[in-house]
Amino acid sequence: MHRLSTLASLDAFEHAAREAAATVERIARPAGAAGLAGQGEELARAVLRVAPDARRIAVAPPADLTPEIFGACQRLPGVFAGRSKSELAAADVGITDAFAGIARTGTICIALDPDHTGFISLLARMHIAVLSADDIVEAPRDVFRRDRVGGKGLDRNFVFVTGPSATADMGPLVRGVHGPHRLHIVILV
Amino acid sequence: MTTVPEPITAASAAQIIDSASESPRSYANKTQKSALLAAIRMALRVEGPAVRHNVQTFNRNRYTATAEIPDYEALKDQARAIKERALRDQPQLVAQLEASVRRNGGHFFLAQDARAASQYIADVCTRHNVRLVVKAKSMTSEEIGLNHVLEALKIEVAETDLAEFILQIADEQPSHIVGPALHYSRERITALFKRVFETDLPLDTGEALTAFARERLRQKFLSADAGISGANFVAADDGTLVLVESEANIRMTTIVPPLHIAVTGIEKIVPSREDLGPFIELLAASGTGQPMTSYTSVIRPPLAAPVISDGPGAPAPREFHLVIVDNGRGRMRADPVLSEALFCIRCGACSNCCANFQAVGGHAFGGQTYSGGIGGAWEAGTRDLASSRFAELCTGCSRCVTQCPVRIDIPWLNTVLRQRLGKQQSSVAEQAVKRVLAGVPDADAGASLQKLFFGRYDLSAKLSAPFASLVNAVNRLPLMRALLEKFVGLDRRRTLPPFASPTLVAAAKRRAPRKPAAAARHKAVLFADVFTNYGAPERGLAALKVLEALGVDLTVSATSPDGRAALSQGMVATASKQARLTAARLKRYLDEGRDIIVVEPSVLAMFRLDYRHFLEGESGQKLFEALRDHTFDAAEYAWKCVQEDGVDAAKIFQATRHPLGARIFYHSHCQQKTIEAQRFAQIGGTARPTEALLRAAGFDVATSSVECCGMAGSFGYKKDYYDLSQAVGQDLFQQVAKAEADGGPRTLVVTGTSCHEQLHDGLHRPVLHVMELLAAIAQPIDAATS
Repeated sequence: MHRLSTLASLDAFEHAAREAAATVERIARPAGAAGLAGQGEELARAVLRVAPDARRIAVAPPADLTPEIFGACQRLPGVFAGRSKSELAAADVGITDAFAGIARTGTICIALDPDHTGFISLLARMHIAVLSADDIVEAPRDVFRRDRVGGKGLDRNFVFVTGPSATADMGPLVRGVHGPHRLHIVILV
Repeated sequence: MTTVPEPITAASAAQIIDSASESPRSYANKTQKSALLAAIRMALRVEGPAVRHNVQTFNRNRYTATAEIPDYEALKDQARAIKERALRDQPQLVAQLEASVRRNGGHFFLAQDARAASQYIADVCTRHNVRLVVKAKSMTSEEIGLNHVLEALKIEVAETDLAEFILQIADEQPSHIVGPALHYSRERITALFKRVFETDLPLDTGEALTAFARERLRQKFLSADAGISGANFVAADDGTLVLVESEANIRMTTIVPPLHIAVTGIEKIVPSREDLGPFIELLAASGTGQPMTSYTSVIRPPLAAPVISDGPGAPAPREFHLVIVDNGRGRMRADPVLSEALFCIRCGACSNCCANFQAVGGHAFGGQTYSGGIGGAWEAGTRDLASSRFAELCTGCSRCVTQCPVRIDIPWLNTVLRQRLGKQQSSVAEQAVKRVLAGVPDADAGASLQKLFFGRYDLSAKLSAPFASLVNAVNRLPLMRALLEKFVGLDRRRTLPPFASPTLVAAAKRRAPRKPAAAARHKAVLFADVFTNYGAPERGLAALKVLEALGVDLTVSATSPDGRAALSQGMVATASKQARLTAARLKRYLDEGRDIIVVEPSVLAMFRLDYRHFLEGESGQKLFEALRDHTFDAAEYAWKCVQEDGVDAAKIFQATRHPLGARIFYHSHCQQKTIEAQRFAQIGGTARPTEALLRAAGFDVATSSVECCGMAGSFGYKKDYYDLSQAVGQDLFQQVAKAEADGGPRTLVVTGTSCHEQLHDGLHRPVLHVMELLAAIAQPIDAATS
């Protein structure tokens, strides 16, 4: 029963995130001891698929996921370690983890502290966020509950992210303003 | 911060651009009525198409987004309860917030007025030798006039919300709480940018304009010395700020510069971070009509994230200042009526669902900072009463009442503002004359002649009734029209609805005595409201026929002024007196176990919504609740009988036998929509009982989707507002044309007197009341079932 409802909320999340103009994919963990590394490699391949032309990639150390998951991404060509303003502002892709996903709205929650995650998820042209399927909750309000996603939503500085930055102030709807022009969400299942 | 997912189709772009030289700033101050009227003319001519498109898109999206929140009504109750608690405990919460901000390492300042707030921010900037400020959209900073203070110190202020960016270069005030530049079509923005930036770039798409502004602002973000933001909510328990947006300019403003100053109103404080859930969901859905906007920051500054820089050495440490602004809010809190406005979360839903606002936007329906239904209370609270004059544009249609996420009774605020304004602006002598000669209660003695004319319809109707045909003939004379226009501001292009003879009460007495059905399951009284009694008795008689056909044991009450006419003119004391009188009269029927049937929806809305303001004390509130629960629109009651008795409506009302055919266009009255939605939210059933009944009877029903027809009681009769009323009516007229494009004409059917007049005036066609439509084919239940 629990498993079923998890799957349903996963589907709902994907649907809502696409409605909000994000792209979404799932990456399963291969069985066995090398599962985590395999999932990390698949993630790196996914980055190459969605951003084949990326020359400058910033990878934020995950706040919650096991660090190994970003291991293969760290070795991608174009990944840079510099954290100066001009380097971060010139990133084509920023990769971060997300500590919560919201099924109803397709929203993800990105921690802003204590390192450069806030900048990496904001200044890059494209933001790739990695979310564990276990961290999907039903509604935005659930993020403010002690008994959801470890109560992190009550303690952290974070941002709810729903799709890429957008405006309709110039007439028609335009996606891509001051923040990322594209948002790609990878769900680890 | 706005996203409206649809392109603008401005038909007459060229013409709009040509006439764009007029500055809305010159009408922002509406303490003089002439400024309000000039602003309406400007808005209808220049800004109307873009406003209508954008506001109606917000409006449609809100209905969709709120419908997707499964417990929307309960969530609104929660949000309201939190705001009530926050307002009650405000002094303690402010102290708690101050401690929280200091504990987090930030600075806290409580500014008593606009000047103190701006001065504090200016001092902080001066201390840090700030040259460039990036600023996120903040209505509070508009309210306190912050930019002027900073610019006087030679500090460059870059507005970074693209709408505010437009307004800054155009030097205009916001026209909407959420979408401050939604009065600009894409074409007008192109023209503005080309003129101001002297560029040859085509800039003829939204993408090109956005990219152009983005490049300019990107440099500002990366080189700014300070970021100034507002805050949508502030949690007292830990100093959390919530900032809602879509463009990421707020994220930039709050994280990139080392110095962050947030300025916001004291009413934004909620007790704790755990309270934020309902607001975050309601603000996005009610505002732009999105499940969530692109970004909602939840931050407790100063952030622990390092400051990024390109220079050598350690970057500057982060510094944070929270400026909480009172600026009149303390007075509002002490005001039994205006305090309600402090619950406002600035979503703009009351603007978006407002038919008048959809037609003109906030440059006409707004003041120097705040606009729309809730804007009057805010201008009165943060500036002065005279600045709220645009509250005149609230017709009391009540559509916002069920749309407000914190359940503010916005029409009530505007009604009281109108009363206070009248009182403030008429002379003592004038008031004395009205009190003595016309018996106007002291509190209402500021009402103008026009307001007295419309507000005491019951009096003129009662006096005219014995001479109905003579009065009607006189009212149609050109001379009389000219006089009415001159002295009471009744537009001469409108015709007053004629007085009827005999009245409903007299006609009902003349009917053959009725044998009450032996075992009637439904006992009711038809309330002879003044509009139906004196103006349209045929509707009341039709309701009798329809309900009696369903076996209802029905009697007709005496007529009694219910207070609607007075209330709509801001004559609160008169309305209150009449309400108490009528409620006492109707109590007898409730005690007899009779339900109360009302033909005129605006009168029904008095019983269901407004009497709570007038029936005071415990017994008064009990009577209000009894009235609210036992009053019904005639069609709603017919549907209730059909449902409860398991009757086949198509047998009693065979639409196919109707002499006018079964194709109809039904327009529901604005207040009827609201009270139907409220009852649906309370007890379920159907949200639209009248439509359900018409469909069950076999009618082919097309419906209007406008919020209000534009006549709105007496509003459209007034010379000052005739053009606006007509502009609002265009949507309805076009919807009729569209519904008739396929399959030919439809019978026009309404429930409200003023909707009847608007449709009749606009389309020059006969219009039927729902009861008249059904009475023509009603067959008594016994005959129908035998």
